[in-house]
This record gives sequence, structure tokens and C-alpha cells, in this order.
Amino acid sequence: MARSRTGFWLSVPVYAAVVALCVAPLLILLAYSFFQVSFVAVLKEPTLKNYVRIVGSDTYRWLILKAFGSGLMVAAITAVIGYPVAWFIAKRVVAAKSAFLTLLLVPLYTGDLVRIFAWRMLLGAEGVLNTFLMAFGAIREPIGALLFSSLATHIVLTYNYLPFMVLGLWLAFEALDDRLVEAAADLGAGAVSTFRRVTLPLTVPGLVAGSMMVFVMVVGDYLTPQLVGGASGITIISAINDLFGTAFDWPLGSAIAWTMLAILALAFAGAAIVINRSSLGKALAAGEA
Amino acid sequence: MRRGGFPLLWVWLVYGFMYLPIAVIALFSFNASEIIAFPLQGFTLHWFGQVLADARLGKGLGLSFLVSVPVAALATLFGAMAALALTRYPLRGRGVLFAVILLPFLIPKVILAVAQLILLSELKIERSLATIIAGQAIIILPFTTLIIASVLVRIDRRLEEAAADLGASGWSTFRRVTLPLMKNGLTAAWFIAFVLSSSEYVLTSFLSGRYQPLSILVASDFRFNISPALNALALMIVAVNLAFIAIGEFIRLRSKQA
Repeated sequence: MARSRTGFWLSVPVYAAVVALCVAPLLILLAYSFFQVSFVAVLKEPTLKNYVRIVGSDTYRWLILKAFGSGLMVAAITAVIGYPVAWFIAKRVVAAKSAFLTLLLVPLYTGDLVRIFAWRMLLGAEGVLNTFLMAFGAIREPIGALLFSSLATHIVLTYNYLPFMVLGLWLAFEALDDRLVEAAADLGAGAVSTFRRVTLPLTVPGLVAGSMMVFVMVVGDYLTPQLVGGASGITIISAINDLFGTAFDWPLGSAIAWTMLAILALAFAGAAIVINRSSLGKALAAGEA
Repeated sequence: MRRGGFPLLWVWLVYGFMYLPIAVIALFSFNASEIIAFPLQGFTLHWFGQVLADARLGKGLGLSFLVSVPVAALATLFGAMAALALTRYPLRGRGVLFAVILLPFLIPKVILAVAQLILLSELKIERSLATIIAGQAIIILPFTTLIIASVLVRIDRRLEEAAADLGASGWSTFRRVTLPLMKNGLTAAWFIAFVLSSSEYVLTSFLSGRYQPLSILVASDFRFNISPALNALALMIVAVNLAFIAIGEFIRLRSKQA
């Protein structure tokens, strides 16, 4: 039938664009990860030396661990902060639901740089938070460690990616049938046990989806640690950036990049399995959500 | 269950947290002092004047438009094709298409940028506005696809079936039924893509070569000469972005009622 051909022809240019601008570059990156640098030229003889170097390097191992640690931590923090918000929007807001969601997303559209700039003003030694606290006598000396620290990085990362977590959780709460919660209460379950045995398990897919989004964005975030992290701002992503810039070792940079992609892919596979097993996943697969 | 109480307070706190940085920018862009700190020193429009008089920023803004207008158009066109294929037509491997579209969103931007850089150098393609446009369009494609798809799934399939029953061909059904109904989604996608493109820094900095759109200039100012004028600039960027988003969302949500 003609309609099925239409779908095919519509998808062809889309596939072509993603292959040309995303898949092909990543494959060349993979090829480069097996090359080597000699002086200022790239030696195109396949070798595993780059990967051996990464595995043997304390610095790179630590930076990779740090990136995934940050990703997990920010995912957990945004989950705790976002869970009640998602519940509230899904179950308590009736008329203005889309307004609540839009208002949550609006700060995202101010752009990375503007947001980071604002947080630098907020957290700086002469910044808004310090002068505010001093004016109220809460502290006598400005807290110098606020900005340019790992704490600042994680505050801003939490700020940046919280809306994505709320979106994931909100979808799960929208799909949650209230009657199940009521049934649990009718059967004598307390609030805590209803939450632990009904609400939480049923919102796990949202939790996983939100966490994966936050995780991948935190791991890949370049600007935030750079601009508010100070000495702690060296990340595996900034290391890749340096290897492609000043350090000029594209093959090693490529190998680090692909190590990261491989670990991310594993994490995604795990998340996909969890979501697919859940009822939300089945609904999405059936095209209902 | 009790209404309000703790959850309501929590929601207020979270929304306050989300808007705190924007409020701070707004406050200090009107503050008559070189130093960005409390107490406030009085009201001024001086910083706005300084930004508007800056020819370098004006040139950057012009370049940003040269990039973002075609990026938004391309991302919307490809997003529309993807969304139509995903929601309107029987298609084998729908899940694969969906995963492929999400791919650029899931790859860390620095990694995608260096990968594109290698490809360009292998193909001996000079970095130019065209390379920025192509690079940005692909990372914005997931967003436009989802926005347009969110409008398409709300369109009643029976309208298209009725058109087909009345003898309309596939193309004329699309042109006279589907397209008018999805027009709002296309406009919304264009506006949001424009905003995402104009504020994109990481990919732009890798692919721009000697061209310096506004986001690159703003980034170097943020690093090297922090001044209240930057607040004014940031507030203007925020205001324009929010106006664009508001227009886009207004149009998209209006289509819900249609």
C-alpha cells in the first residue's frame, strides 16, 4: 500500500542525516582511537596502546569514576527533589497542568552560559548569597569555598537537570492508576507501606528514565565544572577537550571518548531492560502514551 | 488525603530555586554599581546602553541569526518528516527510527563535537557557518521531532481517513488535512529550535573556526571580563528567548483545543 511507502520515504532523509552527522563521525572517532600520534602527525597503524594507557593511568581511571560518580549523585539528588514535585503536578494540579510543566522548563531555555553566569554571581565570595547572609548576620566572613568548588558544580548541575528528572517522573505518575493506591489503603496498608509497595514500584520506570537522562547529561557536561568548579573542574570531558586542543593527541582523546560511550551504552542497556519490563514500557511500546 | 501542606511548600521552594538565577540577573542588570553585590545602589539603564552600543556584540548577533534561522528551519523540516513517519504512517522498525533520532541527544556534546571535527578534517572540509548549521541541526532534531509528534498524536486519525474515503489522494490528504492541523506544531518547533540553536555553545565553539556568533562572544566575556553589562546582555538574551518560547508554546497549546 502507498502509505507504508510514504513512511519509508519520510524516514530515509532522517536516517541519512543522523548517519552522516552523528553515526559516521562516531565511527571515524572509533577508528582514530586505534591510531597513534608521532610528533604532529597521526600514524594510521592500528594499535591498542591508547586503551592500554587509559586502563593503566590513575588519572584517567579516577576522572572516569568521578564523572560517573557525579552522574549518579546528581541523578539521586534530582530524584529526591523532583519526586514530590512530579507527584504534585500529576495528581494535585488539575487545570493548570501544562502551565506548571512549561514554567518548569522555561529556565532551560535561557541557555547554559546565562545560567552559569547567574550562579557565579549567586555563589561568589562577593556574591549575592554571601552578601545576603552577611547583611543578616548569619555569617561574619564570606564563605570563600562556595564558588569554584565541587559543591558549586553539583548545585549548578542539579539546577540544570532537575526539570528532566521531573518530566520523567511526571510521566510515570500520570500513568499510575489512583485506584491501586486506594485499594492498598482499603486493604489496611499504612501510608509508608502503600508508598513502598505500590507507588514506588509503579513509578520506577519514570525514575529510571529520568535518572538516565540526568546521568548522561551530567557525565557529558563540559561547561559547568569548567566555569564554576575551579580546581575541581577538571573532568574526563575536559580532558578529551584538551587532547583535541592544546595537547594534540586525537587518538588518545578518541579512545577516552569511546571508553565513555561504551560505559554509557551499557548503562542504557540496563535501563532499557528495566523500563521494558514495566507496564509503562509496554504502554509506550504499544504507542498509547 | 490532605491538600497543600508540605508538598505545596516543597513545590514553591523548587520553583523558587529554578527562578532564583533569572531574578538575580534581572536585579543586577538595573543596579547602578560596577560591583555585583548587595546592597543595591540605585536604578540605571546604563548597562543596557553599553550592550546596545557594542558593535562587536551586534556583529555576533547578526552571525547568530545567520546560523539559527537555517538551523531552526532544517531541524523543523527533518523533525516533521521523522514525526510523521513515527506517528502517521505504518513503518517497519519504528523503534529503530526513534532510537536513531534520540541518539544525538544521548551523546555528550563534546564527544559528538570532536567526532564531527575529525570527520571534517578527514574530508578536508573547511569549518564555516555551514558546518555549524549542520552540527547544530542534528542535536536539535530530537527536540523538534518530539514537539511535532506531540501535536500529531492529538490529531484525530478519522479526519484523514474521511479525506481518503472522499477520494483524496495521499498527497492531497496531507496537504489539505494533516498539514493545516500540524502547522502549529511546526511553528512551535521552529521557535524552540531557534532558541536552542542561538544559545548552543559547546558544539558551536568546535565547529565555528574563525566565525564568532553571539554565544562564543558571550562565553569569552563570561570568562575574562565580568561586568554588570553582562547582566544586561544576559537579561536581554533571556527576555528574547522567553518571548520566543512563549510564542511557540502558546501556538502549540492552542492546537490542543483545535
